[in-house]
Amino acid sequence: MCTKGTVTAVLVCSAALLLAAAAAATVARSTVSYQTPAVTLVREDGKSVSLVRELDDGRPVLLNFIFTTCSSICPLTSRTLEEFQSKLGPRAATLHIMSISIDPEQDTPQRLIEYARKFHAGPEWQYYTGTVAASLAAQRAFDVYRGEKMSHTPVTLMRAAPGHPWLRIEGFVTPDELVDDYQKLLASP
Amino acid sequence: MLTRGPAVAGAAAIVLSGLLGVGALAAPPPQPSAGETLYRHGLLSSAQPVQATREAGATLNGADAACVNCHRRSGLGSIEGQIAIPPIAGPYLFIARGKSLEQQGVPFVDTERINHEAYTDESLARAIREGIGANGKPLNYLMPRYQIDDATMAALIDYLKEMTVKPAPGVSSAELHFATIITPDADPVKRRGMLDVMNQYFIDKNNAAARTKAPTLYSSHAMMFRVERRWQLHVWELTGAPASWEAQLRQHLAAEPVFAVISGLGGSNWAPVQKFCEAESLPCLFPNVEAPGGQDSDFYSVYFSRGVLLEAELIARELADAPERPRRIVQVFRAGDVGEAAARALQSVRAGSGPAIVNRVLKAHGSSGELIAALRDVGSADALVLWLRAADLSALEQLPPATARVWISGEMGGLERAPLPQKWRATTRMAYPVDLPGQRVVRVDYALSWFRLRKVAVVAQQVQADTYLACGLVSETLNHMVDAFVRDYLIERVEMALDHRVLTGYYPRLTLAPGQRFASKGGYIVRFSDPQGTKVTPLGDWITP
Repeated sequence: MCTKGTVTAVLVCSAALLLAAAAAATVARSTVSYQTPAVTLVREDGKSVSLVRELDDGRPVLLNFIFTTCSSICPLTSRTLEEFQSKLGPRAATLHIMSISIDPEQDTPQRLIEYARKFHAGPEWQYYTGTVAASLAAQRAFDVYRGEKMSHTPVTLMRAAPGHPWLRIEGFVTPDELVDDYQKLLASP
Repeated sequence: MLTRGPAVAGAAAIVLSGLLGVGALAAPPPQPSAGETLYRHGLLSSAQPVQATREAGATLNGADAACVNCHRRSGLGSIEGQIAIPPIAGPYLFIARGKSLEQQGVPFVDTERINHEAYTDESLARAIREGIGANGKPLNYLMPRYQIDDATMAALIDYLKEMTVKPAPGVSSAELHFATIITPDADPVKRRGMLDVMNQYFIDKNNAAARTKAPTLYSSHAMMFRVERRWQLHVWELTGAPASWEAQLRQHLAAEPVFAVISGLGGSNWAPVQKFCEAESLPCLFPNVEAPGGQDSDFYSVYFSRGVLLEAELIARELADAPERPRRIVQVFRAGDVGEAAARALQSVRAGSGPAIVNRVLKAHGSSGELIAALRDVGSADALVLWLRAADLSALEQLPPATARVWISGEMGGLERAPLPQKWRATTRMAYPVDLPGQRVVRVDYALSWFRLRKVAVVAQQVQADTYLACGLVSETLNHMVDAFVRDYLIERVEMALDHRVLTGYYPRLTLAPGQRFASKGGYIVRFSDPQGTKVTPLGDWITP
């Protein structure tokens, strides 16, 4: 378990969903290993691709899950990735950012292209859709499946290289924190 | 204050139209106030996009920063994951603390923050600009800090104050009124089937409510009682030409105010009904319509499926993927039927790509001879798309087997019961915008058992199963709404509740979200497995075009 920064457990009162005014975003980090499922996804360019191969192309990977009609959480996490990407500058080119839709029937490749454009996704940032079964398999494998799309929570996953464990970041991380996390991840042996 | 004018003018217009007698020309829709424009579209009074930042420096502007994204059109908030976006409709912000909500006539919503201080205009402006709550503490990270000029801020605060949480028309302490709408060109058999289901559902609902003897109480934080109101159904049957339907609907609504429209049955043209529901801000939930239309921005009409328009995309996709490009795509449909809209949809998807599209329009109630003549020159190099009903499909018997590749509409032909002659079955594929019979059987059987037990004759199975599903969804959603009978909130809660639904009838799954208005997104292409009978085989997976 690798915890750093401002780690606080997210307390949720399931009955009333009380989320008192919080000064800063509550972020929790952990180091986890995941088994990537052998599923085929459809990239925003319309090509069918293997999730394993997309993840294991040799580059460090940042992975998250979104849906394009999400109105609260995803616009913020996507904006964060956009700023993260721009803060990295030329270094972003050596990274692979992957966003997988958790509403794949709605999120056609065309809709993903429009969404990517909205967040100025660079060439290193790809979006994925596919069958409901494939999306669910990916969500379950990375422990982000919460029953249905409206129950999703903000999770960002990062991995330095194929075979390495994942850094799992839960909560609304800021672009600066993300850059920091990324640099530390690459520096760690 | 900037906003009062238009809002008051709007209210006056409604009163006036009532005095003049409904059926008179509708008043032009009032211009949205500056507050509403900011709330819904993120534009300031200057027409410039509003700028906002989050604590960590992330910026957003315009429509992306609009209040409506999170707090929703109703102003009653939303729930996403573990985050409850609080209600910001006036009463929730300005309510005096120390008294319970019900004492103050404010309905319970499950996103409400308890124990926050009451806002004043000043502290609310500070919250919006600086992210400091009424209690002096910072607001949640998700809430941006806005740069808003004083005039627009005043307009926004006015708009929030005007957001009503009072029960909508059609809701009393004892009754909930609903309508269902039937157009004059609707199929009479389906009409009977739909109404039988609805009448029985309402009887059941009211019997169940009577049995539980639930106390007629309202919600409270300490104890939540659900009010069991009696459901009352009004059947609005339209007559005459479509141009007169909106006026008729306004008349019905004035005479019988309803909270929402459930189900309904259309023929080839549902557009005036959808337009009416938008104009009156009236939820129109899951009508049985084969070719739904409307604008992308429409909010109040929600459908199970895009029907034949979805089929057109399924077929267009097959045509695009076909290894051999046809010489022509010949589409055949009857004038005035939904096939016309489907043919148009296919044409627009295929526009500019591939072979020429030839449309053959048959007379509305013409003979089969006309159909046969229309197909005479269709050869093996062509693709033939038949947007036809069962009677026309039966008439294909009079022709030799098609040499062209053929597609038919499952929605129009009757799905696996389509009377497609044996000799046409080898070359014909069917667009099938619902789940396969073997896969949906358990879900549909639930409805069928309910019909059987209540002696509801099954005369139009899909329409009846969809109607039963629509009633069930409304009932389930109202349970989540407790006593917040706000029409916009009904739509928002349907969007949220649908994903949970396990019994989804003919559809493999139903999902909605803000901006999504068709709950089932895909379909199959199938062919008949045997020369006779109703067994169908899918030619591939479920497709979401």
